[in-house]
Amino acid sequence: MIKVEICTGTTCFVMGGAELLMLEESLPESLADRVEIQGTSCMEHCKSNPAGEAPYARVNGKLIKQASIHNVITELKRITGEE
Amino acid sequence: MAYVEVDYFQLFKDQQRVGGDAFLSRKVRDENRVISVLSDGLGSGVKANVLSTLTATMALNYVTNHMDIEKAARVIMKTLPVCKTRKISYSTFSIVDVEKDNRVRIVEYDNPPFLLVRNGKVIDTAKQSIKLDNNTHTKEDVLKCVEFKARLGDRIILFSDGVSQSGMGTPEFPLGWRESSIRQFVCGILEREPELSARDLSRRIVQKAYTHNYNAAWDDITCGVINVRQPRELLIMTGPPIHKERDQEMAEIFELFTGEKILCGGTTANIISRELGRPIDVDLSHIHLDVPPTSNMQGASLVTEGTITLGKVVEILESGLNPDSMKPNGAVLLVQHLLNHDKIHFCVGTKINDAHQDPHVPVELEIRRNIIKRIQQALEDKHLKETTLQFI
Ligand code: FES
Repeated sequence: MIKVEICTGTTCFVMGGAELLMLEESLPESLADRVEIQGTSCMEHCKSNPAGEAPYARVNGKLIKQASIHNVITELKRITGEE
Repeated sequence: MAYVEVDYFQLFKDQQRVGGDAFLSRKVRDENRVISVLSDGLGSGVKANVLSTLTATMALNYVTNHMDIEKAARVIMKTLPVCKTRKISYSTFSIVDVEKDNRVRIVEYDNPPFLLVRNGKVIDTAKQSIKLDNNTHTKEDVLKCVEFKARLGDRIILFSDGVSQSGMGTPEFPLGWRESSIRQFVCGILEREPELSARDLSRRIVQKAYTHNYNAAWDDITCGVINVRQPRELLIMTGPPIHKERDQEMAEIFELFTGEKILCGGTTANIISRELGRPIDVDLSHIHLDVPPTSNMQGASLVTEGTITLGKVVEILESGLNPDSMKPNGAVLLVQHLLNHDKIHFCVGTKINDAHQDPHVPVELEIRRNIIKRIQQALEDKHLKETTLQFI
């Protein structure tokens, strides 16, 4: 199982995290049952890093800045070797 | 100290945009009194609305200013116009004054009699009838007065004749929903749900009356409930404390609070989670694009995001809309919790912005303070709640 954590804190939510929460519906079939999606409260990166990096997500622990459905899926594919 | 919870529910006569019944309440905070008035204006629509609102407002003002409740009633009756053809007063009323030691005084004029429910039973009170000489009226005017000491758990239920006469003429209720059956209905509900709020009980009674008329309102249907009980307390904790050293103190406030608790804000939830060693579990089963998801944490009734959610809460509270008819998201759930409690304590962290925060985002602390102030105001003014505020 690949774990995807999506930040649901204020900054991330406003910066595109809301759409990112729809990730599950956008997963290609090959990934659908290999991925576990979780929400997290503010990861607190928004407090110490330059603006513009949110929203944040983590894929198997690796931090993704400016996370989008697109770049999270790219990372997932990299892990499964599909790319 | 007992808490007096008041709320009402109302349906207007079909096709009417305003009601001919008025239910007004006022809390006199420094005196610990709650005064409520139900008035029913003759007829329906705008004219009846003006009359009942006038009656209720006069009663509220007189009684608030310590005019004897009986005298107030007389003054109102003198002032009210009398219908030329029917020679009866233009509006009826019931006034309830609950004072600080739970002393209750009620005066009724021509409204259906109030119900006092204690320990699941309707209690009959010894009412005194006072005849008023009024030669402009054809029928005798009688004021019914009663005084008693309320006990914890007592409910006083007022309703207009739209409730007691509901269903009149139907095979089931040829004479309307009469007092004995209303009593039965109310006792039945309270037996199943003894903790029912004033808001919910009044709504159930009105909705039931509505069904008697084959789902129509033949008249304005109004019910008000006054509930004397142990206050329900709620803690809303939002924002990180001014210094990190006070995180532990905040966690203690949370832990020691005996009522229900809600955390608003990711950082706030993170602090409590870390200090108390309890995981935060974000609930992704309902996703809304305008309000961030809620989370669960042991000991908290609800965990929400901060700024966006509280902003929506203000909107809902100020609009006066009923949250029960909205799609449940974090803000709607939070409003429901607020409305179901009596004393709401806000514990607001005052840490200022982190150095690196985007300068285009307005100062978070100011927003938070402002929003909380508006929530408090709406809760106190529109919903008669008591609130306290503590900064940390
Ligand atoms: S809101 Fe996502 S890191 Fe703070």
